[in-house]
Amino acid sequence: MEPAEVEFLAEKELVTIVPNFSLDRIHLIGGDLGPFNPGLPVEVPVWLAINLKQRQKCRLVPPEWMDVGKLEEIRDQERKEDTFTPMPSPYYMELTKLLLNYASDNIPRADEIRTLVKDTWDTRMAKLRLSADSFVRQQEIHAKLDNLTLMEINTAGTFLTQALDHMYKLRTNLQPGESSHSQDF
Amino acid sequence: MSEAYFPVGPGLGMEENFLSLDDILMSQEKLPGRAESALPRLAVLLGQGGGSAESIPEGSKLEIPLWLAKGLHDSKRRIISVELPKIYKEAWRTVFSADANVVDLHKMGPYYYGFGSQLLNFENPENPEIAQTILQATGAGSVLPVSDCVRSLQTFIGRFRRIMDSSQNAYNEDTSALVARLDELERALFQVGQKGLNDFQCWEKGQASQITASSLVQNYGKRKLTEVDG
Repeated sequence: MEPAEVEFLAEKELVTIVPNFSLDRIHLIGGDLGPFNPGLPVEVPVWLAINLKQRQKCRLVPPEWMDVGKLEEIRDQERKEDTFTPMPSPYYMELTKLLLNYASDNIPRADEIRTLVKDTWDTRMAKLRLSADSFVRQQEIHAKLDNLTLMEINTAGTFLTQALDHMYKLRTNLQPGESSHSQDF
Repeated sequence: MSEAYFPVGPGLGMEENFLSLDDILMSQEKLPGRAESALPRLAVLLGQGGGSAESIPEGSKLEIPLWLAKGLHDSKRRIISVELPKIYKEAWRTVFSADANVVDLHKMGPYYYGFGSQLLNFENPENPEIAQTILQATGAGSVLPVSDCVRSLQTFIGRFRRIMDSSQNAYNEDTSALVARLDELERALFQVGQKGLNDFQCWEKGQASQITASSLVQNYGKRKLTEVDG
């Protein structure tokens, strides 16, 4: 899976916007949206929010967690713990990128937020590498990674599964079963 | 283009994948061996002596490709006996267990893991290790291939961290120095790690949403079609 596809999934997340137009309730396949009234906050998917924002038809309300204080807390918590801590959103990286790219004028202290999220990401990726290493070293066969987000899994996933696949094959060589004797006639 | 191309990957077990190009190249690697019986009229092929009628005498040393060794090797009819290449022998195995990262597997290999796995097929009855197997009464398998394989597994595990780190940290760098010492299998793994990192970085910079010409098409433009034909 490519990052763009992960982003596609992330665009289904809901955000609050304040529209400057009025529109009746619209009926879409994935659910009904609206009604839209000028000045009144309404929840819409990210893809629609970005589209409306680009057409200058709304103002974006940043998600609750997209706040310097909260993100600092999350980053510190992430550094303290050995395992992965729960993230404020399953698509925190994608939402940060999308919202900051298209609506940075609506988000207070956008640069600091970008840095904090990047720090958190780096911490988590370093942690992922560390735990993958000990996973391989101890020759485990399963692991539980509850709080990892899709983007993180996707970045290191192919590499990890392929490495484990090689390891599995090399390890099954250790137990020569029936198949190894197919050459004896 | 690469997404629509599904090459057959290497087998990496006791059996190779029949259509895997990597495995075909791997099975060309030479293996030291010895003729257990005279092989008439084969001296020319195996590079021993001149005339086409000459036969290979019993007991002569041979360097045979793995595919041929696998075909001729039979625990009942003794045509050839196979020796371990020196990198799979005790001396080198000790080196690998000391620090797997210092070994240049590309020079040693370049199909270290695949070839090592294939070597498990030769359960030579004359090996003292096999006698030990009967002693241990584990049934199938001998001590020699097992210990052999533990090493190559340890080698892989020992080198895993370095491959992961270098493939996921090197962004926009020249990676030729990093992969110079990697086995073919590890190189493929390195490429996968790099792809994950590069795709993510491209996405983050917003390059993923831009449509660019395929690198193949860009290369076409550099030379006129007539020059290619001529």
